Amino acid sequence: MNSNDTILESIDPDIADRLIKSSDEIAQGRSTSSWVTAALAMGSVPIALAALSKDAFGQTAGSVQDVLNFALMLEIFENEFYKAVLNTSAVAAQNAAFATVRAKVPASAAAAIGQIQKHETAHVATLTAAGAVNVLNLTAASFDFTGARGSGNGPFLAATTDLNFLLLTAQGAEDTGVRAYKGQAGNLMSNSAVLEAALRIHSVEARHASKIRRIRRQTGGPTSVRYSGTVSGGGAAAAGADNVSNPSAGAVAALGLIYAGEDNTTQGGVNVTGLPNLPTTNFGANAASEAFDEPLTKTQVIAIVQGFFIPTIPA
Amino acid sequence: MPEKSKTLVIDQPELLFKASTRRSFLKLLGVGGTIVLMPSVFAACADSGKDSTPTGLGGGTTAAAVSLNLSGDLGILNYAYALEQLEAAFYTAVVGSSVFSTMNAEQQEVMLDLRNHEVIHREFLKAALGTNAIPALTLNGAAVASTLTSIPVILQNAEAFEDLGVSAYNGAGKYLASADYLLLAGKIVSVEARHAAAIRDIRDAMGITGGDAANTRFAGDSVVNSAGLDVKLEPSSVLGRVASTKLVSNAISIGTAPTKASTPDAGPPSPTP
Repeated sequence: MNSNDTILESIDPDIADRLIKSSDEIAQGRSTSSWVTAALAMGSVPIALAALSKDAFGQTAGSVQDVLNFALMLEIFENEFYKAVLNTSAVAAQNAAFATVRAKVPASAAAAIGQIQKHETAHVATLTAAGAVNVLNLTAASFDFTGARGSGNGPFLAATTDLNFLLLTAQGAEDTGVRAYKGQAGNLMSNSAVLEAALRIHSVEARHASKIRRIRRQTGGPTSVRYSGTVSGGGAAAAGADNVSNPSAGAVAALGLIYAGEDNTTQGGVNVTGLPNLPTTNFGANAASEAFDEPLTKTQVIAIVQGFFIPTIPA
Repeated sequence: MPEKSKTLVIDQPELLFKASTRRSFLKLLGVGGTIVLMPSVFAACADSGKDSTPTGLGGGTTAAAVSLNLSGDLGILNYAYALEQLEAAFYTAVVGSSVFSTMNAEQQEVMLDLRNHEVIHREFLKAALGTNAIPALTLNGAAVASTLTSIPVILQNAEAFEDLGVSAYNGAGKYLASADYLLLAGKIVSVEARHAAAIRDIRDAMGITGGDAANTRFAGDSVVNSAGLDVKLEPSSVLGRVASTKLVSNAISIGTAPTKASTPDAGPPSPTP
């Protein structure tokens, strides 16, 4: 690829001149933009991303690489969390930790969690194919899902025994994921293919968060946990932890960080609550905050998830 | 019958919630009449309606064609504004329909939330675009009526709208040049995805699988592919789907295509009844 070519020119599907017949060709690491072109022409974003990672990708701004690495870290965390819940972690101790609560998960919820975990595994693969690097060498053993960085006795310990707390934790993980991707979109604008893939992962995380909220509402969650799956209000109150008995102070603090700023009602300089023609009946005070999800910065996300990681996450 | 009686003009949002309006609305739905949602229902008229002049009377009469310039951010935002107008009008009609009162509490809460959120999205985009906004779109009353005949039909259409909205935002993000606008689109699309999952989950519980495994429809294999990627559609595909619903009387076309390269579509299937 000519160094003067832009990424966009290199991935124009209209100039595809051949198709990739097997992933073996990708594995050969052939450095030519036609791989990217061809993969996009056949509709395979992961293959296109794989090609990008071996070709033009190395020439793009470092921020794209940083975002990919950051996203991969979060996806490995989510994936390993759900695998431990589902008894499919590679580390026996992680599975054993969730044995008590696992027995309380209804089959319908287990099926939903299984679908979510399948997607997290796919996200790990897709990001890796795009060139993301597991810079912390994370494995199933790298996490303490109680949030204590290794002692196994952290503020989220109750998630291993209390179903309501487990679902609250899953909701927090998914909403953090949504906010993290949203906060990084602007750093991917130089690369349309990666941006679009990230947006398509972002909305999947939002679907997950919606489903977890609906399960919680259907099993005793408060009305602030909307059946529409949206986030109502901000701060710890937006977590809707009312049906969780005696959440630890550490968990409440973490929920405050997860939903910090979600109650924003000023968008693009516009006061949303002051817009004309808003409904006058059955219009909840939180509708304006529900209608927009807010981003988190990388620093904010690290502050939320660090407790679950044994290794120290670099800034 | 004088022609006048076949046309119901709704020029204030409040009228949508008056029983007399609803009766007329329903009567008209029964005879294939025309319902005109005047601009004040959709949008502000503070600038004396220059950019929101009624463009037609719907139901087969002429509505002004809308041409989108997708080579710039304002055109992309207008594209979003058009879709949000459609969604907001749909849920406003749902909440005002006779079927709404027969829904259970969960379904009513979801329909009201979605109505509120989509109206906010519409009004926000209208305000953000200011004088650059396209006109209020004219709806085809008979077509709208056909989306409101029963709870299952409403939910089927809601699923189509929400998955289409997710597809549209996911496909258009790459065309935005402003990081601020990209973030705003991101703030909206995840809400649309939450809606889509909620509607799909409600239908899941009703036994409507659409090919997805039970309890997985919220993010079923029909909308999330094996790479874990959600649906996306190019603007031309989205507008084609909108046109096929015949809900909007205005012809919406792409006057100028986006300047960046398109990507292959991965759209949602048509929801099964």
